Amino acid sequence: MLRPKILVVDDDPDLVRALRLRLRASNYEVATASDGYTAIAQAQKERPALIILDLGLPVGDGFVVLDRLQNIDALSSVPVIVLSARDPQSNQERALKAGAAAFLQKPADNDELMNVIRLSLSPAQSQAAPWPS
Amino acid sequence: MDHQTTNVLLIEDNPGDADLVRLRLVEGNSPVNVNCVSRLSDGLASLTRETPTVVLLDLNLPDSHGAETFRRVMEHAPTVPVVVLSGQDDEVLAMKAVHQGVQDYLIKGNLSSKHLERAIRYAVERQALLRSLEIAQKQQLEFKNQFLSHVSHELRTPLTCIHQYVTLLLDGLAGPLAPDQSDHLKTVLKSVNQLHAMIRDLLEATRAESGKMRVEPRCVSLGELVQQAVAMLRPTADEKRVGLEIGLDQRLPLVFADPDRVLEVLINLVDNAIKFTPSDGAVMLQASMVDADPGSVYVSVTDTGRGIGPEAKALIFERLYQDPDSVDNNRSGLGLGLFICREIVRLHQGRIWVSSEPGQGSTFTFTLPVYSLAKLLAPIVIHQGGLRPAFVLVRVELTPLSNPPRGNWKETWQQALEILRRCVYLDKDLVLPRMGTSGAAETFFVVASTDLQQAGIMTARIREQLERVPDLKTKCTLTISTSPIELSPEKPGETVEQTVQTLASGVTQMILAGMDRKQAYVAKAASTAN
Repeated sequence: MLRPKILVVDDDPDLVRALRLRLRASNYEVATASDGYTAIAQAQKERPALIILDLGLPVGDGFVVLDRLQNIDALSSVPVIVLSARDPQSNQERALKAGAAAFLQKPADNDELMNVIRLSLSPAQSQAAPWPS
Repeated sequence: MDHQTTNVLLIEDNPGDADLVRLRLVEGNSPVNVNCVSRLSDGLASLTRETPTVVLLDLNLPDSHGAETFRRVMEHAPTVPVVVLSGQDDEVLAMKAVHQGVQDYLIKGNLSSKHLERAIRYAVERQALLRSLEIAQKQQLEFKNQFLSHVSHELRTPLTCIHQYVTLLLDGLAGPLAPDQSDHLKTVLKSVNQLHAMIRDLLEATRAESGKMRVEPRCVSLGELVQQAVAMLRPTADEKRVGLEIGLDQRLPLVFADPDRVLEVLINLVDNAIKFTPSDGAVMLQASMVDADPGSVYVSVTDTGRGIGPEAKALIFERLYQDPDSVDNNRSGLGLGLFICREIVRLHQGRIWVSSEPGQGSTFTFTLPVYSLAKLLAPIVIHQGGLRPAFVLVRVELTPLSNPPRGNWKETWQQALEILRRCVYLDKDLVLPRMGTSGAAETFFVVASTDLQQAGIMTARIREQLERVPDLKTKCTLTISTSPIELSPEKPGETVEQTVQTLASGVTQMILAGMDRKQAYVAKAASTAN
């Protein structure tokens, strides 16, 4: 079975290494980028099923990346999970408006992160709540 | 100031006194311009038009007396220095004025021009000093808050890394661990989590202090929140062999509160209670009504710990307070948890307090407002002591097209709610808080103080604004309906509050009937399908 590919974008190489280990253990393929420019290039080259994106990045911060992704047809529907140390009160809404599927603040709970990844990859099951009819 | 003209606003109703003051002012060395009025209302009007250098104020005027006079002047022009002109028998009042922010007072009987000139000069200087002090304090607070918010962000980055690697090891993703190693790492993780909680509290407290903390109250069931908090803390209590019990009043009404924030308060209080209760003790979480205060629900957390002394009791909700007796066995925490709790409760217009006897355990209690449509409606529907003439209930129904709906609608509904609030007149229309609806469709209600025709204009505006949201336009159906709210004839002797209560019940009935109709329709559709 094909393993879904996740692009991890963060400028902290140690964190990227840890996330790569964790994601691989959960049977995801992992690509990485450490700045905004490379993130777009990698997304176009690797065609990931999902992107984990930090906000504070060199060469184009997370919001620039979100904006670019939205404007590239082939990538606009790829779910993006923002994983940032920034204050959700001032950044969450902005990130979601810019097209992110979810916002998690660092340090995020691993179970929560894995859940959000799973749900974002299969949005049909994300609303298990009963539909009135 | 020596070379500039001093503009004096003299508010004095006694013509003799006014002339005398004017004379003394003009006699002085520096150029002066005197504008004299005899009524407070004229003085306030003049202050609205222009800002004088100083106000000389008699306290007893035809349209205002005593403390009220200087209070109103200072409220109207807080930046203008005020010097009170007092009679000899009024010095006590004049002194009181000085304590409350007036710059100085002069006794009318012995005014010399030198004296007057100097009083004015000093009043102006002092006022300027006060202003710059205020500005400096504000800047300092702003700087401190920015610094703290920056620090808490910067601390998160290395903390995230530690957290990731520790959990990586613990989850066995880097190879198997010996039991001892695993235990050591669990200790590290515990400390990481404590550090994380402290950073979170630091930011929260900063927010509370700078007035940036927000609550989004809704109509919520407190019982559910209590259950949730207990479920989350049960493992901690079990680990310490502390009993955790719930006592819920059967007649508990819905409360008007922000569920996430209230949960935060509950977790904080219960977690504290467990921390301070010895093994084999018990913590009790209760929610109840009090006959004397039907507008509030009382939530209390009782422990069987060692209790809190009177000194600590007075300070325990203050920022950074640490009970000196408890520091050694409670190394976690910055003393911000209870401060944050108090601020959250305050934002809900509630109260929080503690009662305790040393050795007898403690009870922390807070109140939350009961959800009352009448209370929400009152400021909107009452105008000049009576009910406005006509009301319309607007129903805005948003239904996602896909079935089951895909994606995250929470944000979209929040956005819709904000749009609705922008589409109504805040003084006479009310967008009702979201109901705790299940499922993905969302219905919003607006009570508008208007007739059906005017409501049509409002609904057109709402539709136009909502359709501008891409998600709503392409992925939802939007149904807006309006119905007049029937007003029952006023009963003789009925107070306006009672009338609003009747109106609120009417609105509730209409909302419930609407739901029934929909459910009836759904049931019918289902039976045809079979």
